[in-house]
Amino acid sequence: MNEKQTILIIEDDKAISNFISRALTASDYRAIPAGTGREGLSLFFSHGPDLVLLDLGLPDMDGLEILSQLRGLPREAPVIIISARDREAEKVRALDMGADDYVVKPFGVSELLARIRSALRRADRLKLSQGIQRTVYQIKDLTIDLSKHQVLLGGEEIHFTQNEFKIIELLAIHAGKVLTYDFILEHIWGPYGGSGSNQILRVNMANIRRKLKENPSEPKYIHTELGIGYRMLDD
Amino acid sequence: MFRYFQDLYHWVDIQGHRIPAVPRNLGITALFLCAAYCASGILITHTGGENNSALVFVLAVALISLLTSGYFYGIAASIIGALCINVYFMEPYEAFSLSRTGYPVAMLSMVAISCVICALTARVKKQATEAVRREKKAKALYEQNEKLNAEKAAIQLESERVAIRESILRAVSHDLRTPLTAISGTVSVLLESPEVSPKNVAMLNDIKQDADSLIIMVENLLSVTRIQDGTMPLKKREEMLEEVAGDALLTTRRRFPDCRVDLELPEDILYLPMDSLLVRQVMINLLENAIRHSGDSSHICMRLYRREDRAVVEVRDRGRGLSPEVLQAVRSGEAMPLNGDATRGMGIGLSVCQSIIKAHGGFFTAENDPSGGAVFRFGLPTEGAQL
Repeated sequence: MNEKQTILIIEDDKAISNFISRALTASDYRAIPAGTGREGLSLFFSHGPDLVLLDLGLPDMDGLEILSQLRGLPREAPVIIISARDREAEKVRALDMGADDYVVKPFGVSELLARIRSALRRADRLKLSQGIQRTVYQIKDLTIDLSKHQVLLGGEEIHFTQNEFKIIELLAIHAGKVLTYDFILEHIWGPYGGSGSNQILRVNMANIRRKLKENPSEPKYIHTELGIGYRMLDD
Repeated sequence: MFRYFQDLYHWVDIQGHRIPAVPRNLGITALFLCAAYCASGILITHTGGENNSALVFVLAVALISLLTSGYFYGIAASIIGALCINVYFMEPYEAFSLSRTGYPVAMLSMVAISCVICALTARVKKQATEAVRREKKAKALYEQNEKLNAEKAAIQLESERVAIRESILRAVSHDLRTPLTAISGTVSVLLESPEVSPKNVAMLNDIKQDADSLIIMVENLLSVTRIQDGTMPLKKREEMLEEVAGDALLTTRRRFPDCRVDLELPEDILYLPMDSLLVRQVMINLLENAIRHSGDSSHICMRLYRREDRAVVEVRDRGRGLSPEVLQAVRSGEAMPLNGDATRGMGIGLSVCQSIIKAHGGFFTAENDPSGGAVFRFGLPTEGAQL
């Protein structure tokens, strides 16, 4: 791609908006800052950015309201939420409403750039696949073959239970995106599967982690978003 | 004078009520009937056949029914009185007779009048006691109402206070985190920039480090303010301990990229109720403490295991160990000594750990490993979260 990718920053704090803009420019993106929700929406229409960074605490509009307006548009762009750590419910709602990922204040530049890269890659993948689903996913030395119902780790097959495989499959299809507990529960166990508790999912996940010999302090395949959900890494 | 009688009546009433009801009522009945008999006896010597004994007995019956409980004694007294009059105070004396005209009517009317009086006094009495009871009840209700109102006001005040505290905390945390994020972020952008001279890079690094310490400090202060006075409940939720530990380690590693920390997991799954953000804070503090104060940041190990009904987290280093002051402070559960270079920065962090674990009903210990290094341990109750 010759053209620079455009990122819209909807953030009311000038200082944060400034350093994000600088960091993005330094990493060869085009940054468009917007100080209010309304300005953000109008800049979205005029510039058609490839990605949106959205602070949920804006002075003029509810961040979730902006998110739902962006989601209703034919031109989709991945959205990364900027939120405070102690607002779990807000983040979960944003993710369930279609946000791709989130960063927590205070966040670091490298962390933010990694999330942006991941979301952009995912968007590219979706565009290329044109809705055709892949059957084989490769994450580092982990191969997930959906048609053969097989998971290989460094060439060696690992046996998972039905539900464990379904969870891995779901995470792989959405690799790079944070999936909330409720989202996963509903897709694997049906709308009433969790019955108010996500224990069944968490225990399955702990087993998956043990079979993959994955240490949560050094995630290679599945990243835990504490209190929110899980995300399969895509690089 | 009137007061004196009233007091006397009260005294008699109180003394009288010490005697059980049946003997007391019988005594009163007997006493007044005797009095009426005597009075009529005296009167009859003066007035002869034209006697007023019926009125005297009616008076006695009225007094009896006033002073005894229920209808029974009054009616019994009126019948006895009628018989008495007939036998003793009407011709023929000393014998029962209904032979004279008017006698049956007189007797019946006397019994009827006495019964009516008796019924009326009983009703008046009942109404009086009812009124007293109602007054007492109304008073009790009023007092209770007052008390409830006071309680309601207190609760309202308290919940308003909590709400205000919550919103202040939220505002403060937002207002502190946002500029700190901006400072730390801006500095990291500058550090990547080619236009900064090496001399300035060192200064920028200092700013970045201090901003990052401030961020941790603010998180600690916010946590401790939230739990300190116990007005705000913990936001407890079932959480996988290894995921909290993983998150804490990743956060610590982002701040101190050069140090080595191992995470040892248990075979079984530790899934227990906790405020995961606060427990994460405890882990981050212990790790940071080991990295910054132990003098050896390359052999730090965090271990999770189950011991009886506790999920235990252990942070171990191979550094210079803890000073007796710190050990003593942890053991006694007192606040850390915050002054002195030996505990610089360590005091606040460890105090926060202690109060968070205490709020969870867990234990927090510190010791020196005989083979070198410090060991911090904390355990959280698993509370029947069986797996």
